[in-house]
Amino acid sequence: MPGGPPAGTDDDSWRRVSVISPLVRGWIALAAIAFFFGRDWFEGLFGPGAREGLPGAIGIGLTIALILGIVVLIALGFLVSWYFTRYQVTAEYVRVNSGVLFRQNRQARLDRVQAIDVVQPFLARIFGLAELKFEVADAGESAVRLAFLRLSEAQQLRATILARASGAAVAPDASGGLAEAPEREVVAVPSGRVIGAVLLSGTTVLLLAAVVVVATVTVVFRTPFAAPTLIPMALGVAGTYWSALNSGYNFRAALSPDGIRVRYGLLDTRAQTVPPGRVQAVGIDQPLLWRLKGWYRINANVAGYGAGSPGEGQARATLLPVGTRAEVFSILALVLPDPGTERPLEVFSAGLNASGPAEGFTTAPRRARWLAPLTWRRSGFAVTGTALLVRSGYFHRRLAVVPHERTQSLSLHQGPLERALRVMELQLQTTPGPVAPSLSHIDETAALDLFSGQARRAAEARRRSIPEQWMKPIQQTSGAVMPAPPSYGPPATGAQEPPGPGQPPLDPPRDQPLEQPPLDPPLDQPNRQQIPEGPGSHEQR
Amino acid sequence: MRREPIDPEGIVWSRVSPKYLRVRLIGWFVGSVIYLLIFSIPLILRLAGVWPDFPPLAIAIALPAAVLLISGWRGLLLPRQVRALGYAERDDDLLIRSGVIFQRTLVVPYGRMQYVDVAVGPLERAFGLCTLKLHTASPATNAAIPGLPAAEGARLREQLSSRGEARLAGL
Repeated sequence: MPGGPPAGTDDDSWRRVSVISPLVRGWIALAAIAFFFGRDWFEGLFGPGAREGLPGAIGIGLTIALILGIVVLIALGFLVSWYFTRYQVTAEYVRVNSGVLFRQNRQARLDRVQAIDVVQPFLARIFGLAELKFEVADAGESAVRLAFLRLSEAQQLRATILARASGAAVAPDASGGLAEAPEREVVAVPSGRVIGAVLLSGTTVLLLAAVVVVATVTVVFRTPFAAPTLIPMALGVAGTYWSALNSGYNFRAALSPDGIRVRYGLLDTRAQTVPPGRVQAVGIDQPLLWRLKGWYRINANVAGYGAGSPGEGQARATLLPVGTRAEVFSILALVLPDPGTERPLEVFSAGLNASGPAEGFTTAPRRARWLAPLTWRRSGFAVTGTALLVRSGYFHRRLAVVPHERTQSLSLHQGPLERALRVMELQLQTTPGPVAPSLSHIDETAALDLFSGQARRAAEARRRSIPEQWMKPIQQTSGAVMPAPPSYGPPATGAQEPPGPGQPPLDPPRDQPLEQPPLDPPLDQPNRQQIPEGPGSHEQR
Repeated sequence: MRREPIDPEGIVWSRVSPKYLRVRLIGWFVGSVIYLLIFSIPLILRLAGVWPDFPPLAIAIALPAAVLLISGWRGLLLPRQVRALGYAERDDDLLIRSGVIFQRTLVVPYGRMQYVDVAVGPLERAFGLCTLKLHTASPATNAAIPGLPAAEGARLREQLSSRGEARLAGL
């Protein structure tokens, strides 16, 4: 096994994270101490009391000894904590033991994986280290965080976990030779576009408005005192720009048998893998200014990511920070391989941009214009064989796509005004995340139909949904080629290859929507057979 | 109870225990008295002469009056609110309805259920009631049935658990 850890043959053994990881994790503490004492000492050199204190050499010596002592103590603490932190990956579980006084043994089922991230903060990148995050669906902190491993080791571990979680390789001893599943790049976002998208965001509008207001105040009242208020604002805006740039820079999305791979980052880099069927809802939105360039953003609810902290959580939930319509369809085809309609391009385009009842969309009735004067023709829904499309927003356009089997619950709401106008609001609850699909001002009959129909469709879709172990029931084919990623309809980008001969059509006509096994394309890919290890290393099912 | 537009057709709602109204009434009464006391402070202080003339008399009187009005309105609404609570077990999912003015109907498929809570507060225990709460992977699913008789709550919990297991799906 090339490049793997020396103990790779015995993968079930208990292991420790990299020995320099305490340094990478604790550098902030060390830097703070250095700053604190350094400043004291520096000021003391020139301060008024410098001459009366201890003679310089002894004072400096004492200070240095003190600093060194504290640093050694902290380093010892980190070392002890490092020594007692061990992890193990078995065929079914990943386990982490940590803690010195208060021991913690944590165990997570591999097939419950919702996502795996390999994160490299800037300092870890310098040392060639990476953090591995294993997410399960409790929407809290990561179930397992291994910080830090060598990058190759982290990738190896990710491959092992995904292979075992997928059910492709069950025998523990077979995993030693598992390379990463192959992948095919689907979307790469040029950095120029990321910068353009940042500049065309709502933050820019706010900044310009603030500048205009401040300039007006300064000129009209002939006072320079308004100008300094711009400084904190500029700092805030710069922070927003930076985080958008940092999380959108060098963005790449790829398809692999293990699911969708997403990579991005300028200083901190992140590689996320979301296995098939783990995306709970997709939201496509277009801020007003992005209409100039025809750009969209795609967010997704993934159970393991949860709502998260505003900055990081938002970045993690992004499947496409800024993209053209063709790229939106490429990503959608990854997330929802079977759109459940014969005209996916038209239907999703109508959801993105159109208003009115075209392409099967049901909009709010005309009488609802009293409640929603602008959006009543735009807000509406469409149902395909596999997903519910909810569109809304007059200025900031939004489209939410929820696969039927992913709906957690549904609720109908009606207040007094809505009752008077005989309309209702329908909400879909999915796992926490940026997408919160909600349909307002829908006609009563249509809403009730959708409510009961959606409950039925969700039940049907769940019965035929893909298993937790996404490769388990699939016959292993010996094809060694990575098939083309699924795409909607005619290849809009011109770069898509037609599906291989052994492939079912990617857009199967849904004549028998129930009997047909759904979600074929991502599952029918060859398992990791391209590895020249011989078939004996994999369980043949 | 007449069918509201928000109710799906052909549903026979199970109602919560009528005793739950008493629980709600006691809670409402205690809450109203506390609010009334708090908002009467300016009036009391004024009448006692501690605050000679700061809040105009009209405002000092209007505050507790407004509280009385709102409390009275809420109290009048309570019986209808309790009667509006309902749930129905279908083959694949559980329906829960609530609300008089702002109405809501919720459907939770059994297979989406992660766990079931049965909670009993001191007042509810005094009346032999309990509150059943169903949790899915979405915190936005607010599926609580208050005011169930304890036996019915236990039955429903077992029923939901077994049905959830039969239709178990990951997420």
